Amino acid sequence: MSTQTLLPESFAALEPYVAGWARNGSAARAGRRGNSTAEEREAFYAAVAGELPRALDYLDAKGFAALDDADQRLMNMMLCLGHVALAVEQQNDAEPRHARDRAHMHITHTPAGA
Amino acid sequence: MNSPTTFTPVGQDELDWLGTDPVPTKPYYDPAWFELEREAVFRRSWQQVGHVCELPEQGSFIRRELEVLGASLLIVRGKDGEVCAFHNVCTHRGTQLVDEAAGKRSTFSCPYHMWTFGLDGGLISAPDFESFHVTKAECALPQLACEVVGGLIFVHFGKPESSLREWLGPYANKLEMMPVARATTFSEYVYDIDANWKLTYDNFQENYHLRFIHPSAAGPSTSPDNPFAYPTAYDFHGPHRSQRIWTKPDMAPPTGVQAVAFQRGAICAMADGILGAETAKDYIGLFPNFFVFGSPMQHFSHTVYPIAADKSRGVIRLYWIGEDETPSERFAREYFMAVARDVHTEDRAVIERGHKGLASGALEYLHFQTQESLCRHLFNMVSEKVEAYRAELTGRAEQEGARA
Repeated sequence: MSTQTLLPESFAALEPYVAGWARNGSAARAGRRGNSTAEEREAFYAAVAGELPRALDYLDAKGFAALDDADQRLMNMMLCLGHVALAVEQQNDAEPRHARDRAHMHITHTPAGA
Repeated sequence: MNSPTTFTPVGQDELDWLGTDPVPTKPYYDPAWFELEREAVFRRSWQQVGHVCELPEQGSFIRRELEVLGASLLIVRGKDGEVCAFHNVCTHRGTQLVDEAAGKRSTFSCPYHMWTFGLDGGLISAPDFESFHVTKAECALPQLACEVVGGLIFVHFGKPESSLREWLGPYANKLEMMPVARATTFSEYVYDIDANWKLTYDNFQENYHLRFIHPSAAGPSTSPDNPFAYPTAYDFHGPHRSQRIWTKPDMAPPTGVQAVAFQRGAICAMADGILGAETAKDYIGLFPNFFVFGSPMQHFSHTVYPIAADKSRGVIRLYWIGEDETPSERFAREYFMAVARDVHTEDRAVIERGHKGLASGALEYLHFQTQESLCRHLFNMVSEKVEAYRAELTGRAEQEGARA
């Protein structure tokens, strides 16, 4: 059943955000934050941030070895939320200028896969 | 050790020995001075080039480019498990031996004429070698002094006056106590910058700028009794230096996604046994161009590689113990890398502005205050080495003149 859905069933409400934010690779997730609009970030953050603890608990309970494609999309979406949260919670109005400067900082290696 | 509830800055009397004079600007942009630094500083110092976790098995190798000395290095874990460093240069006619940035091999073959070298750098075979006029033993890859402390790999291009451990003094033990010594993987980001390496490095050894350049990250960590988040202590050993980071005792707890990252990260750090380590607030600067911060949650190193008088490259790594064991750990690690990257982004932009200003030649001197003493110490150390090298060159020229 999970192969027919974009996200695990209990996170189906977040499916509208999969296409935009469930990115594979740390650099792609950081890049997505960089090329998003404030409206996109705020909508994503408002819908997903509150689900972060539940999503991590769900994924932790399954463990990496048991994650299917839908679980992996949920993982990638939450990792992307980490980047976007810095814009929403920390940078605020400084984000557009910050994004320009941040483009010089190239992510080359991460345990998750750069 | 608990954080002090009332902050007392390090007094100038403790730092008088470093001097208080204005500092000439030319060494921060002059190409002629940079040429002297190549030899006086970089050829004569141990330099950090990697970590043992990049060489997990026999035959694992990394290639490192050190532009300051025009060198390409091949760093290899040999059959005996030891880490060795060679010039990445075929001894036949100088062709760069290895092109890949990293990998695993049992031998290294030059693509030009198939000279093949072992993991110990020895020449194993070369087609029609009988036609050469040299022995295989004479054709081993040129090797550099290479030593490891705290999991960190250092090389020396010349003849080191002391072992790496002796050179590091008390900082060797500190490195061994830090998580980096047990690290098995890392997150890394890299930046190029149009600025001198010392100017770039200096930004990261003074806290005076924090509240202005990092308002969102540093603002909450300042307080009325320490409005600039100055450190609680400075320490010096030979050309190296360190500071002990001050932490605001009544810092507001994080909220939102940041709070989740801190909670999940703290659980992982606790499981790794690195929470509350004695070195957690130590920020060590090893001469000439390497930093490491002991923080368990953001345990990062930062190397500023000089490329030219006005160009440098920064490599920042957050070192981790073990692969991501849980999705929560993966989330916390990616979040803390992104936090550090945000902060360094703000630094990079202002450093370039600083270089432009100095390189204009408008200023003859710049000024370091008491709480910028680590910057002054770096300047003093570099100047000492450059002046000694200049004197050596003059002495050599005079001797040659006398002989002629």
